[in-house]
This record gives sequence, structure tokens and C-alpha cells, in this order.
Amino acid sequence: MPAPVPFDPQEIVDAKYEERPTREGVTTKRMICAACDIACSVVGEVQKGRVTKIRSSDNPIFKDNICMKGIIAPKGLAHPNRILYPLKRVGERGSGKFEQVTWEEAMGDIGGRLKKIIAEHGPEAWAVSTSQWNTSTDHGLGRRIMNHVGSPNWISGVALCAGNTAAVNRFTYGWFPFGDFSSTNCIVLMGHNPRRHSWTPLYNYIRSAQARGAKLIVMDPRRSSSAERADIWLPLKAGSDAAMMFGWLKVIIDEELYDKEFVANWTIGFEELKERVNEFPLDRVAKLTGCDPEMIAEAARVYATSGPSIIPWTPITDMQRNSTSGIRLQTILRSICGYVDVPGGELLQGFNPDIVNESTIEMHHVLSDEQKMKQLGSKDHPAFTYRGQLAFREPTKRVYGQEYANLVTGCHMATPSETFRAMAGEGEYPVKAFFFLGNNPLMSYANMPLIHKAMMNQDLIVSHEQFMTPSAQLADYILPADSWLERPWLHDMFGWMSTIRFSEKAMDPPGECKSTFEFWKQVAGAMDMPEVVPWETIEDFYDYRVAGTGKSFAELISETEVHFKKPAYKTYEKTGFATPSGKVELKSSLLEELGFDPLPYFREDPPHDKDYPLKMFTGVREDPFFQTGHRHIPEMRARCPEPQIYLNEKTAKAAGVAEGDWVSVENQLGRVKGILAVKDAMPDDLVRVPHGWWKPEMEQGNGSLSGAWDYSDAQLCRDDPDYLDLEQGIPHLKGIPCRVVPFVAQVSAEPAAGAQHMEPAE
Amino acid sequence: MTREQKDIRKKQRSARLQIWMAARSSRNKTFLDRLCRMMITKATSVDPEKDFMRDDFIDNDQGFDPDELDRYQRGEKVIVGQ
Repeated sequence: MPAPVPFDPQEIVDAKYEERPTREGVTTKRMICAACDIACSVVGEVQKGRVTKIRSSDNPIFKDNICMKGIIAPKGLAHPNRILYPLKRVGERGSGKFEQVTWEEAMGDIGGRLKKIIAEHGPEAWAVSTSQWNTSTDHGLGRRIMNHVGSPNWISGVALCAGNTAAVNRFTYGWFPFGDFSSTNCIVLMGHNPRRHSWTPLYNYIRSAQARGAKLIVMDPRRSSSAERADIWLPLKAGSDAAMMFGWLKVIIDEELYDKEFVANWTIGFEELKERVNEFPLDRVAKLTGCDPEMIAEAARVYATSGPSIIPWTPITDMQRNSTSGIRLQTILRSICGYVDVPGGELLQGFNPDIVNESTIEMHHVLSDEQKMKQLGSKDHPAFTYRGQLAFREPTKRVYGQEYANLVTGCHMATPSETFRAMAGEGEYPVKAFFFLGNNPLMSYANMPLIHKAMMNQDLIVSHEQFMTPSAQLADYILPADSWLERPWLHDMFGWMSTIRFSEKAMDPPGECKSTFEFWKQVAGAMDMPEVVPWETIEDFYDYRVAGTGKSFAELISETEVHFKKPAYKTYEKTGFATPSGKVELKSSLLEELGFDPLPYFREDPPHDKDYPLKMFTGVREDPFFQTGHRHIPEMRARCPEPQIYLNEKTAKAAGVAEGDWVSVENQLGRVKGILAVKDAMPDDLVRVPHGWWKPEMEQGNGSLSGAWDYSDAQLCRDDPDYLDLEQGIPHLKGIPCRVVPFVAQVSAEPAAGAQHMEPAE
Repeated sequence: MTREQKDIRKKQRSARLQIWMAARSSRNKTFLDRLCRMMITKATSVDPEKDFMRDDFIDNDQGFDPDELDRYQRGEKVIVGQ
């Protein structure tokens, strides 16, 4: 992500500049790394038609934005087990037996079977799971085809990571802001812990901001590395983010530290908010969060008086019982302190007018209202579904020039749990065909036993993948996917920021691997609607998208790697905010219309269960891995050979386990095993369960699913009503009751030679 | 215009200048582009001992040999390290 960096004029005068020398036989390509979802601009070095090295960009605005996962990509993507040809299941579903077929054979059969399912059950019987940034060149084409076919049932991991935040931010001020790290005075991290090898650009921005004097406030139950560097660390209880923010608001409102002029002119609902906030005196907040009231007050004062301050997006608040309220409270803090759309604050960037954006490509207008209302989850948890977001059409058109703004692809989604229930035959109607692209759904959402049942109940499963993941093992067809080394890419910053970036193709895809663009083009053909994806090649498609610049994609990419929109601030003074009232809605008119509390609130934990005395959290990214990926790469596994469960010494002792033991973490839904690592950075009674673990070297097929049944944290992630956010229906992953016990049958697991442990506090 | 408003305007101008320079720096074709790149490079440089982005794994990476990667992909040979 590009962030303009502040500079001192004297430093410019003293500047020296040297180009990196080129090496004989090596050509370079400017690329965007897709080893994770951060999308760092990097350089690929190519020899003999193959990418042999990934290094940091030569462009100083992207300098050093590279991590170990990017560095290792040339080897990781050359792994001998990469899927290079289309595979068709030949045994029972989940038998792990496949045979090679051609793309033509596969697509012919897929098209025929999908049409049959739609004829029998309706178009809504087709669900798709993906994340547009994992698959990169999807660019909304999947949604476009689904909208033409008539299915609203698209789900994604963004339902509990950024996409949902985008949708909920709209309720307050109509867009999803991005913090201006380059000139902010104070950064608040809510459980988030960017590091050198994880969320690398954010780590770079935060450290740079600190180096020039910006303050850092960290809320985190763990003593994370960010907490260690913070000016103020609030070690709150897992899952109590919303309560903490009520405490901040109480201080800010009582002490009149808010921006009175902005509140008076640009918000509605302040008096009602004030009443709600008064329900949270600091002693109550201290009880709910476990933090010292003076520290809470001090942090609130720093946030409100050091500004402009930013609360960058955090995946932590996204995954809680009070997620909607928590996200709304972040938006309210930003707003009443006057930090919205000002330099150093929270920027509402809007679309880049020179590019056809993905929301437009998706063509949501062609899906009928009747089909939109069938979107799974709409009835009970509508916040990010069509039902919850359709009222933004008029205000979005007024402010941003078009009706649909599918920010971070999270604003028109089905609810994952409801979709899996329908797939399992327990929903309001059957879903019988399931496609997933660049996505390992079995392990990426809550309630893995339900997801497994759902997948086993399908008539057609299609996967577009690079490796034989546990989910792919359950598919009817696995179609080989290309990688970011092997095709160009136009990156629109997830529709969140207005900057556009370009990535060059550096090598040919191996075997018969194809891009998501080609996948969807072939699906459109197989569904007898080739006109829906009319472009012959991805380059043609990109030419169409960038035509507003007056240049072709090839011309643009030869000229630059980034296309900026001219920055503008406080644009709301001309257009109002993209909400029904045109103002910042501290009290949300739309949530009220949907039947929910229009003000944020706090649902406390269900009563303590003596059988499960500890609380666990999951979702942390380990440096060598992204989500469920990268475990096939020897260098990455050597750094983290086995899943590690973290406890502190006191809690470990109480559980009767010790450093290095194999332990089980159990709750009402399931259990996983891992090696215990005792960390003094962990608070009492909190368990850290690593996310996304399976072992590609283990047996494939339903019995083991390559270790997913042993290690996958999704088996512990509940989605019963007490553990779901009301408005969104997303699961509470930060404070699930559990217990830790010794694992009885010891597993022979020799750590790989040269294994290194992660830094202690992550 | 209040002092606060003046301050905001100043910051807005500064931000616009930064984006303009970043765009120039990214293009890196003309003399002016290269000057912008040079200035940003200098402005973002950190003393090595204070450089929080330095990392052995990244800084010492030598990449891979293309023939060895070919053999690895064919399953003929395991690459032990970089």
C-alpha cells in the first residue's frame, strides 16, 4: 500500500540517489505480491523465463515492504505438489481419488451439472466462496456471473475480516476510511499487531510514525511486540473492545474533549449517544475490560487531544460478539473527535474516477430484488447483506457517483454460517452447488463440523486452487490456478482506497494453470452466457478498465506502477456524507429500520461454564504463513514446524501441562491439538490457538483431511446464537470458553532441523 | 480564517505535494521524476542502526537458481536452502 512519507526540506537538499545496478541475464518486473492480502509492491527478477528472486521495490514509496512469504514465493510456487492440470474426482466424495481431465471436459460437465441444479432448485442453490484478493484477477467477475445467473449467495472470509468492517462503517458515514499514517499524531491498535513479517507495510508505517513522534496506544490482552513499543498499553479482556470504547467516549464526552463544531454541524444522534454512554461509567468499564480506570481515561485523553489520531482497521474487533457495536464505536470516536476526512485522520477516499471499479463490473443491478432478498442470512443478520446495504444506493450515488459500492467486497455478502446451514440441508432452501476459489472454506469459517457436513451434502463442488487443500480434497473438480508471478494484475486497493496499482506478468504459468479471469470466462461460456465476460484476454479486460486514463494497460504499466487520485479533504462539505441523512449518523437510521438498536451496546459473556474455565482466541497470523497457506514450504515450516498453543505459566500449571507437551484444546464443538508453548506475555486463563493449521504431508481424504481434523481451529469456533454478532451473524473468536488438557496419544513429531521459534509475544 | 483552518490547509497542501511527488517518483522517466525519487529516497532513509526494517532473511536473500527451481518443480531434487 502506498503511503506518502513526510519529509524535511533540508533532507531533500542533502539528498543522494543511486539506482540499483542491473545484473547480466536478469530482467526485472514490477509486481504486486499476493503471498498475503496486503499486496506489497515488489520487484521480480527473472532468469531463463522463471522468477528466481523477489525483492523490495526500487520505488522509495514502497521501500522495504516485503516479508519472508514474498521472498520464498519462487520456490513455494514451484513446489512439486502444485496442481498443474484439471482433476476430476473418481472415488466417493472425500476419498481423495482424482484423475486428470482437460479444461474442456471439466467445464462441459460443470456447466451441465450447474444448469441442472439451477433448474431443479433455483439459481440461489449455487453458492461461491472466495476472497477477491486471494484470487486477484477475479475483479468482480464471479459476482457478475452470479448476478446474471440469479444467485445472491456469495460468501467470503471478508465477512469476518475487513469486508464486514467496511459494511458497518457505512452505517455511520457512508464509506470505509483509511488512516493517514503519514501525518497522524496518534495511532490506536485494537488487538492488531503488525510485525516485520506480517502486515509489513502497516508495521513500516507505524514505526515510521512513531519515529517522527506519533503516539501509539495498544489495546491487547497479550503483551504483544506492539504493546511493548506503545506509549500506553491497555491489557483488556479478550472480546471487550466495545466496552473499552464506551469508556473512552465517557471520558471524551464528560470532559468535553470532542469537536463541538463538527458534532453540531455534521452529526445526528449525539444526545441519544450521550445517554447510552452514560450507562458506562468507568468503574463498570474497568470491570468489563479488566483495565485500570485511570489508564482508560488517560488513553482516551491522549486519543482525543493529540489528534488528528487514527484507529486503523483491525481484524480483532471484526470477530466479536459485539462486532457491529465495536466497529460503530470506532466510527463514532473518529467522528466526534473531528478526525474524519482531514489530513492525519481517517480519509474517505472514494473511487478512482479514471478506472472502471469492481463494484461496477459486478453489475449488482441485474440481480432482481426478489433474488437479493433471498440472500442467506438476510432475515436475521442483514448488516452486510443486500437487505442491509440497499438503502445506501441513493446516498452513495449522491456522494460517490454510483449506486453500488462493494467496499472490500464486503457490502453485499451472504452470511457464511447461514449459507453452510443451507448447504447442509438445514436452511430455508437447499444449496447444492458450491464453488470456491483461492479459498479453503472448510477451515476458514466457524463451525468446521457443519461446513464438512455441508460440503458432503453437495451435488457439485468446484475448486480453483494451487494445492490440494483439505477443502479441495472434497471437490468434484479441482482446476489449476495460476499465481501472481504468472499473470498481470490491476489492483484497486480493495475498492477501499482510490489508488490503483499495476503488476507485470513475469513468467508463464506452469502446466495448464489459469487465472481466475480465465476460470470465470470459461464458466460464463459453460453457462451459455459468454457475452457476460466479453473480453478475450485479461489484457483486453484491463484496457477496458483503464480506458479513462486515456492509455492502454500496456502503456500504463510501462510508465508507472501506481496511479493516484488527486487527494481531497472534507469533501462532505460539498456533498454531505453518504448516509440517508447526509450526516454522520451516531444513531443509525438504517440499523433502526432493520429492527436493531440504532446505538452501540455491549452484550456481556454468557454465564461462566465450569467445564470450560479458560477463554481462547484464534485468528493470529504466524509470520511464515498466511491463513491456511504456506505450510508446504520447507523453509517456512522449519520456522514453525508444529501448531503451538500459548498459555502463561500459571495457567499451564493449573491445567497440568508444561512447555513442549502435546495438549488438546477442547470445547463444546470440538478439539484440536498442538504443542504447548509457555509465554509470559499471555495473561491468566487466556489460550492462543493458532489459525489455519493442516499438514500437506499428511494423508489426504476424509479420514484425516491432511491433518485438518487434528489441528484446524475452525473446529473450536462456535456459531450458536450466544457466539454470533446479532447484526452481522459473524462468530465471536476472541474469548471462546475452552479447556486445555494433556493430549493422551502422543504424536511423533520431530521439529524440523534448524527450527526457529516466533518472537514470544505474538 | 482561524489558525486551525490555516493549519489544516497547510497540511492539505503538503499532502497534495507528497502525492504529486510520489506519482513522479513512481514514473521515474524525466529529470523531474528522478529528482522526486531522489528526494523521497533521501527523506525516507534511516540510519542503519535505527532502521527497524532491516532483517537478515530479507537482506541476505540471494534468490534461487532457475535450473534448480526447474528440477525442484519436477520433483527431481529438493532445494535445501536459498
